[in-house]
Amino acid sequence: MSILIDQATRVIVQGITGGQARFDTEWCIKYGTRIVAGVTPGKHGEMVHGVPVYDTMQSAVAQHPADASVLYVPAAQVKPAALEAIAAGVRLIVVTSEYVPLHDVVHIVAAARAAGVRLVGCNTNGIISPGKSKLGGVGGMDPAEIYPPGRIGVCSRSGGMTAEISLALREGGYGVSTSVAMGGDLVTGMSMAEYLMLFEADPDTDAVVIFGEPGTRNEQEVAELVRAGGVSKPVAALISGAFQEAYPAGMSFGHAAAAINTQDESASAKRRLLQAAGVHVAHALEDIPGMLGQALVAAGSVVRPDTPAPVI
Amino acid sequence: MLPLTEDLAKDWLREHGLPVPRGAAAASPAEAARIAGDMPDGAVVKALIPIGRRGKAGAVHLAANPDECRAAAAGLLGTSVNGHAVRRVYVEERIAIRDEHYLSLSLRGPQPEILITRGGGIDIEEVMRNRPERLVRAAIDPLRGLPAGNATKLLQRAGFDAALCPRLAELTVALYDAFCAADALLLEINPLAVTGSGSLMLVGAMMGVDEHALFRHAAWADVAAAVTPSRNPREHSVAVANREFPGGECQYVELAGDIGLLVGGGGAGLYQHDIMLELGGRPANHCVTPPTGTDNRKLKAVLAAILDNPQLKGLLVGFNFAQMARTDIRVCTLMELLEEKRIDTARLPVVIRLFGAGEQASRAMVAGYPNIHYVSRGTTLKEAVRLIVELTARASTKAVA
Repeated sequence: MSILIDQATRVIVQGITGGQARFDTEWCIKYGTRIVAGVTPGKHGEMVHGVPVYDTMQSAVAQHPADASVLYVPAAQVKPAALEAIAAGVRLIVVTSEYVPLHDVVHIVAAARAAGVRLVGCNTNGIISPGKSKLGGVGGMDPAEIYPPGRIGVCSRSGGMTAEISLALREGGYGVSTSVAMGGDLVTGMSMAEYLMLFEADPDTDAVVIFGEPGTRNEQEVAELVRAGGVSKPVAALISGAFQEAYPAGMSFGHAAAAINTQDESASAKRRLLQAAGVHVAHALEDIPGMLGQALVAAGSVVRPDTPAPVI
Repeated sequence: MLPLTEDLAKDWLREHGLPVPRGAAAASPAEAARIAGDMPDGAVVKALIPIGRRGKAGAVHLAANPDECRAAAAGLLGTSVNGHAVRRVYVEERIAIRDEHYLSLSLRGPQPEILITRGGGIDIEEVMRNRPERLVRAAIDPLRGLPAGNATKLLQRAGFDAALCPRLAELTVALYDAFCAADALLLEINPLAVTGSGSLMLVGAMMGVDEHALFRHAAWADVAAAVTPSRNPREHSVAVANREFPGGECQYVELAGDIGLLVGGGGAGLYQHDIMLELGGRPANHCVTPPTGTDNRKLKAVLAAILDNPQLKGLLVGFNFAQMARTDIRVCTLMELLEEKRIDTARLPVVIRLFGAGEQASRAMVAGYPNIHYVSRGTTLKEAVRLIVELTARASTKAVA
């Protein structure tokens, strides 16, 4: 198993005729993702890498039942496109678009929740369940090199860091069950704690690694969840951006959401909260496999790493 | 958030049928006097700059007649208030106020929030600190919006007179609609006044809007284009490049250290900065560079700022394993600028950690340059940071010797 997507997941690509969508679609198909249709208004009848294009989600799902959609539409079109996907009945929506207006984001996040649809992003580079399926640009042209299959779940507020975490795990002999970039924005479709609960329920995930940043309450919620006993699996956390505390509050050094607005949104405060809750807080990527190894042995779930450490 | 000047905020509210005092912007004392000629009860003259608490900054004056208005405008125009040059003033009719209240709408998380206090008015921060029980705060469901019934309940909780509640509820609903229609992240009404004649008036209005929604609000694009000048010329040039060139956002913040950081916009940049401090290195800057497309002008602007920093003694080009971006565009831009600025790499240690698409070409470009260390595959982010910290320290020691 895995979370969110596997080899059976049928996917529609919204905005499939755009440059990034074409590129990602090609590599997703090569990886094994079941892309059943694409949507771009006015492009009905075209084909993209062998995938038929429709004008609307409604007409696409009528011909090709689907479980998920991935959005590559311009920021201005995200709200109508996401609402169209919800109405068409997909259960998972992955929004790769960035700079989506916040009023639109809160609307589609609320609409997805009301419909029981899982929304990943906005501003995500995707999800990968190694060896099974990937949605979005994650892994680029060689996902297999970065993401060996295994039993560690990864949830990150930075898309780039999912690759570094996976490489660090790989160095320690571990692989990944599912890696999800939840999006670096202020408001995201799902919270980090919600992903953690999905990993907790997944029989093929033994432990979880999270990557956090200053800003938002994602990491605090994870600490509360772990402290309350909501997660039995070991959780390792890398929280970056502590350097910001040396500079004036409200100054942004990266992701729009990664600005400290209150004291408990700082990286150091998050590290302390997580540590106190029983999360294994790493200071460097290299520490993660060792930490997980000890925790997994203590938990009695796995005594040997998933895969031999390859050299890249 | 893009703060709007008072004229734009009030025009928006007026267009949405909300009661705001009559007023207009003026660029000269004569124009200000002309506007005040139509205001028999006197005028308020305010520096038209996008900051709050202008009264405390001495940027608000009362004028009983057009002559006083002309003098007040002459005193404000051309000055600088909190670093903002005053190029225009806002001239507004004086309102006789009986009661002052406070209402704000904000969007900072998954749901918009409304905050109301009865009385108090101007000094909301004092109320928040000392009398928090007077604040009524509620989240608004973005799908349902703010129905009049909910607004009435909030106003009752805030202790407003039953007689005032229906009119005030109607106003609150209209404000919420105007807030959403503007893609506002903050709308602060302070004071929300009951006038001497008993009508409601939005006397103070501050509005900040979402930069990413400007495609729906072309009229405000000029405000976004006015880059607040930074005292640091390198920061300024990157801010200008961010406005002028297409692609994702770029940022450059200069710091007190000596190791330049060329990093991406996300987690790996934060991570490397933390690690550098832990290892005793001193970053000369932090930056955000957009993913590389075919247009590298933003990347070039950030790199130029880093290389122009006179404190620079070492450079780290550190990115997470590239899944989508091409490495060779970054390296090519670096080599172009080193050439253009005639920088001798023998004197400037450079560490490059760039893995992914185009890597072979990238490595070929730096081959033969002294002191450019393109680390081998498998080198961790931390190892690359450690290398530039050590090389920079060694170069400095040598320079001193």
